[in-house]
Amino acid sequence: MTRSRTSRIVQRGVAYATIALALVLTLFPVYWIAANSFKLDIDIFAVPPEWFPFNPTLKHYDAAFVQRPFLQYALNSFIIAVASTLVSLVFGTLAGYALARFQYPGQWRYQISFWILSTRMMPPIVTIIPLYIAFNYLDMLNTKPAVAIAYTAFNLPFATWMMKSYFQDLPVELEEAAIVDGDTRWGAFLRVALPLARPGLAATAIFCLIVSWNEFLLALVLTLTTQSQTLPIGIAGRVTQYTTYWGEISAAGFMACIPIMIFAFIVQKHLVRGLSFGAVKG
Amino acid sequence: MATPVPMTLSGPAALGSAWERWSERHLRVLMIAPAMAILLALTIFPSIYMFVAAVTRISPNPDIPWEFAGADNFLRLFTDEQFHVGLLNTLIFTVCAVTVEFLLGLGLALLLDRHIRRLNFLKTLLMLPMMLPPIAVAITWKLIYEPQFGILNEIMFQLGLPLQAWAGDANLAMFSIVVADVWQWTPFVFLLMLAGLSSLPAEPYEAAALDGASAWRQFWDLTLPFLKPVIAIALLLRIMDAMRLFDLVFVLTGGGPADRTKTLSLYIYQVAYRFADPSYAAAISLFVLFVTVAFSSWFIKRMRLAN
Repeated sequence: MTRSRTSRIVQRGVAYATIALALVLTLFPVYWIAANSFKLDIDIFAVPPEWFPFNPTLKHYDAAFVQRPFLQYALNSFIIAVASTLVSLVFGTLAGYALARFQYPGQWRYQISFWILSTRMMPPIVTIIPLYIAFNYLDMLNTKPAVAIAYTAFNLPFATWMMKSYFQDLPVELEEAAIVDGDTRWGAFLRVALPLARPGLAATAIFCLIVSWNEFLLALVLTLTTQSQTLPIGIAGRVTQYTTYWGEISAAGFMACIPIMIFAFIVQKHLVRGLSFGAVKG
Repeated sequence: MATPVPMTLSGPAALGSAWERWSERHLRVLMIAPAMAILLALTIFPSIYMFVAAVTRISPNPDIPWEFAGADNFLRLFTDEQFHVGLLNTLIFTVCAVTVEFLLGLGLALLLDRHIRRLNFLKTLLMLPMMLPPIAVAITWKLIYEPQFGILNEIMFQLGLPLQAWAGDANLAMFSIVVADVWQWTPFVFLLMLAGLSSLPAEPYEAAALDGASAWRQFWDLTLPFLKPVIAIALLLRIMDAMRLFDLVFVLTGGGPADRTKTLSLYIYQVAYRFADPSYAAAISLFVLFVTVAFSSWFIKRMRLAN
């Protein structure tokens, strides 16, 4: 009896110690970039390093967001992310609902679902050359719509699968009752299913926003100037062959993380489903 | 089949109902068609284009027409050592990173499952890395690995260990990339495993405990088979992601030193934009696409994820 109690206490001790260690290892790099963004240059380069910004400064934030166009980069990122998310959400919700509710002849439902998922699996490096040539031909290189369209290639399949999974969780009886009461099929979707799927819509939108906000490779190829460059491109641009502007990129990098951290807490209940394309329901 | 009546012939109400009847009948097609049209344009067009580009010789001069090159670009894959290096690096990275992430994520989930279930706030904190922009993660680790004033060498110094160049050292560069990736993506495996563990049924365990089965046997015979679908999804998504690694190497090492961290994605990027050889880049891309599609379909069938 006492033995099993001690072993339970030991178990719990080990678990909490592991959680503490994992938290330190997880959060330290985030702390470190934040700390460095508030340090004077002389303290960033100090040997041994300063563990805490004892002489805090906003100099690097001024350098990045006032002197250099990081505010414009952030705005571009935001516009592109919102545009791509809206398009993906509208068409993804329609397609997701259709795949969740309607019968299709033969294997079509499964084939279409699988094909839509497989487009999400396509590595961006594979699509980037043709997209570059196509946007060049359409005179759309270095524009925000081009980047937003490119992002829709991965946001739309994601939104479709997420919404399919949320709609499958809703009881079909409610829509049937609406149809019996004289509503159309479309009306049942619009007035019954859609309002019930609101939490799923919100979570899906946030995931699309996060992935778009974070994307790097497509934006790197499709954009050239501050007119359309996104925040990650702006940050990478300050890591040059000759110098790295540590203070500036720390400030911009930390600012790029802040909206993501807020979003992470908003969608915490939906994380599992969002990260597994609706395959695992957390 | 009822077609929509022209606006001028009948009143708006009558027209509305005709359109309504038609659209109602074809709703299952109408709802899915726009998404499919967009995705077709964004994936089928690039695929066809790439195939055309791969079998031609594209001249940088727009006045010179494209020449048919047959299988030349594909044959180059056999002799191009840079391509072999990229392929090998991508494989090494994928195997190392995904193995560590999987074992660490699963181990942590098994150890912490019962203790962290109600600590939602802590759980979300632990999940942060995978949500952060990869570029922010890359510069953070660049700062940590910095040989002169980086914090990692300070820790090495305090521990009395030799200082290293980390991402700048030919032997440690790949290791450094793997560590940064493990930091960012172990939480993903951990989270999915926690989700899998939380939906385990209790009865088989009670029966096993009555039979006196050891914890190890219970894990091997009950937990692992129950977790199999979640494990399959976690592995599939991680492998697909690891095989396209770009951002971390672009910022941390640029593919160096001595091409030790040059991944296929980075190589395609260089071929297309630095060496201005889109035809050959298209050929490599098609190879990557083929491998990705073949692997994911095989994996999905093998793991019976198809439902």
